[in-house]
Amino acid sequence: MKRWAAFLFIIFTLCLSMPSYGADIESRLKALEDTIQQQGETIKEQHKIINELREELNNKKPQETAGTVKEEAEKPKAQAASGLFGASALSNPNISLVLDTFVYSSNLTEEELENRSIPGFTTEGLENRKGFSLEAAELFLFAPVDPYFNLYATIPVTEEGVELEEAFFVTTSLPHGLQAKGGKFKSSFGRINSQHPHAWDFADIPLPYRAFMGGEGVIEKGAQVTFFPALPFYTLLGAEVLQGENEILFGEDAKSGPHAYTFFAKASFDLTDDSTILFGPSVMTGKTKTGSIEEDTEFEGDSRLYGFELTYKWKPSRGRNFTVQSEYLYRTQEGDLSAFDENGDALLDEDGEAVVDTLKRAQDGAYIQAVYGWDRWRLGARYDVLDLFKDEYQLSGEEQDFDGKPWRGTGMLEFHPTEFSRIKLQYNHDKSARNEETNHEWWLQFIMGIGAHAAHPF
Amino acid sequence: MNKYLLAVLMILLAATPSLAKVKVVTTLPWIGSIAKEIGRDNIEITTLIKPMQDPHFAEARPSMILAARKADILMYNGLELEIGYLPRIIESSNNPGIQPGRTGNLDCSQFITPMEKPSSFDRSMGDVHPLGNPHYHFSPKNILRVAEGMANALSGIDSGNADFYRSNLQLFKDRLAEKQRQWSSMPLKGKKYISYHKLFEYLAQENGFQILGYIEPKPGIPPSAGHIEEMIALIKKAKPNAIIATYVAGKKEAASLSLKTGARSVVLPHDVGATETAKDWFSLMDEVLKGLE
Ligand SMILES: [Zn+2]
Repeated sequence: MKRWAAFLFIIFTLCLSMPSYGADIESRLKALEDTIQQQGETIKEQHKIINELREELNNKKPQETAGTVKEEAEKPKAQAASGLFGASALSNPNISLVLDTFVYSSNLTEEELENRSIPGFTTEGLENRKGFSLEAAELFLFAPVDPYFNLYATIPVTEEGVELEEAFFVTTSLPHGLQAKGGKFKSSFGRINSQHPHAWDFADIPLPYRAFMGGEGVIEKGAQVTFFPALPFYTLLGAEVLQGENEILFGEDAKSGPHAYTFFAKASFDLTDDSTILFGPSVMTGKTKTGSIEEDTEFEGDSRLYGFELTYKWKPSRGRNFTVQSEYLYRTQEGDLSAFDENGDALLDEDGEAVVDTLKRAQDGAYIQAVYGWDRWRLGARYDVLDLFKDEYQLSGEEQDFDGKPWRGTGMLEFHPTEFSRIKLQYNHDKSARNEETNHEWWLQFIMGIGAHAAHPF
Repeated sequence: MNKYLLAVLMILLAATPSLAKVKVVTTLPWIGSIAKEIGRDNIEITTLIKPMQDPHFAEARPSMILAARKADILMYNGLELEIGYLPRIIESSNNPGIQPGRTGNLDCSQFITPMEKPSSFDRSMGDVHPLGNPHYHFSPKNILRVAEGMANALSGIDSGNADFYRSNLQLFKDRLAEKQRQWSSMPLKGKKYISYHKLFEYLAQENGFQILGYIEPKPGIPPSAGHIEEMIALIKKAKPNAIIATYVAGKKEAASLSLKTGARSVVLPHDVGATETAKDWFSLMDEVLKGLE
């Protein structure tokens, strides 16, 4: 009963936060009117301040003595306001470049790495090649567009070429704690997903993310609305409409038009002056068409991914800090799995009918990671696991058994000379391919950033 | 079920804004202290950075974003001291009133004359402050202008009480003038110090003392063994009056240098609230100047 009430409350507030399409236009006009009126008032206020300043200046002039003249001369000419990102870069926009390069080693061969799937979850292998690798030189551009929008773009330059990973605007002037985002962006589902890989504590994405969303998470074209009520504690509610092109969870041909939707809630409070807790549920739902479940098959159906995140952070000023972060993911999927032969033609049975099975999957996974930092060092550990509580995989009503739980253990040591450079050594004990050979992975990663100072998220 | 509805209702009621007081959010404790002098009981102050936190190493926390969400005005130090977290807080606050360019966004550094503004820099110099030294809160001259700026900003937001803010500003100016006489009579002229961080440059300029060197070789970078050796040599040769550290940075290093050289080391509050006695900006100044004496 309690859980129901909490759930209803979340749904209810989510509904409130989303624009209701019926009575929408009128309310939008009203909002626009309010905004315009507000701006008028702002200008009025500014005029008043200018007049006051003028008055003050006039009042001062007659009483000036030799002493104060000198002081007046020192007074700065009113500096330009420094803006959201600081004014050191007078040029517009702010630009920064982050280099992410690493050396990778594994006991497996290149071919084994390429084919290292997670049986029962995905056929996608690992992209890492042994030796020197260049993840990307990522270009970040950001600046206010005008008083109503900020613009962000993430443009990774890789050896294959230039990509447009993210490009989106964020509103800054909506009333009632609302904010909208549009363009191509990282979904705010869960915790790791919206963070940039170079900001992750570990060199690679957690196993449940790789299994359910792929190695880069969900980055989609779409729109997002968040509602941030002024409650006594931090609560953020959000919804997204996404095109649904993620190759593992959705697929661009699953349906024409947007076919993926996200809802999330995040809550936080401070336990002490130095420690904070952040948690919340997320859900992502949509149409799926993907060939990544089994070799020579295509799946068409519906998917839904549930997530719960929990982060505890302790950071008493400079020196030491400690973070524990965990996410639980649960994915359900239902639809048809069609088989193909090696030529890519539909596989036929004796009667000449295409072989189509119904597929029903309900699987879960979780990761927990802890990082301890002191001076310019960080030491971390992570444990990922799939099939944690639920491992249902039914093909035409028949349960398929996969032996061995996929899991992975990770250790990490990082040295950061300044906040702009990080050198990371990481070891993965990777049993994600079930009964296949263990992958002993080593990374030596270098992350360096130049240019405008981007703010760190919590 | 009813209990839950009631709880939700209570929360919503508690969240309705009370129109009585101007909600001021400041990043650093000293900004809150000056705002208090001007706004007194008419304003309600929330300070984002706690007195024992080093402002250079602060991070955005959801509770800070929540405070910014409810703010009528956000007052901050500027000169990029808050660059690591404040832009995030402002954008995530979903509060149009405190966005840059609005009346509720007050960069206190716009009223001051920055020192040490580098004509050119790159980060091989450490995490330098490219707009100049941001620690102007130890400068009475600049603080006076900040107080004026705050009085104007508060009057702009809460015009009904403009006279109240202006008369409080006058009281502040009078008190400052009196204190200034006391502070400038302290015998600091010509004295020499070693400091951990570039924190006291404004004070040195206004009170005529000198800071010979820094234990931090470059801002934000801890000293190497070699640099410590250089410092020991410098201290032995120049015989500074004291080695200065704060409660959040350099305490250990200053103590060890003091032990090795025999020079006096002194630990000072870097901001209001860092010691029990530094209750407000005036007592912070008192304590720092007394410590240097
Ligand atoms: Zn500094």
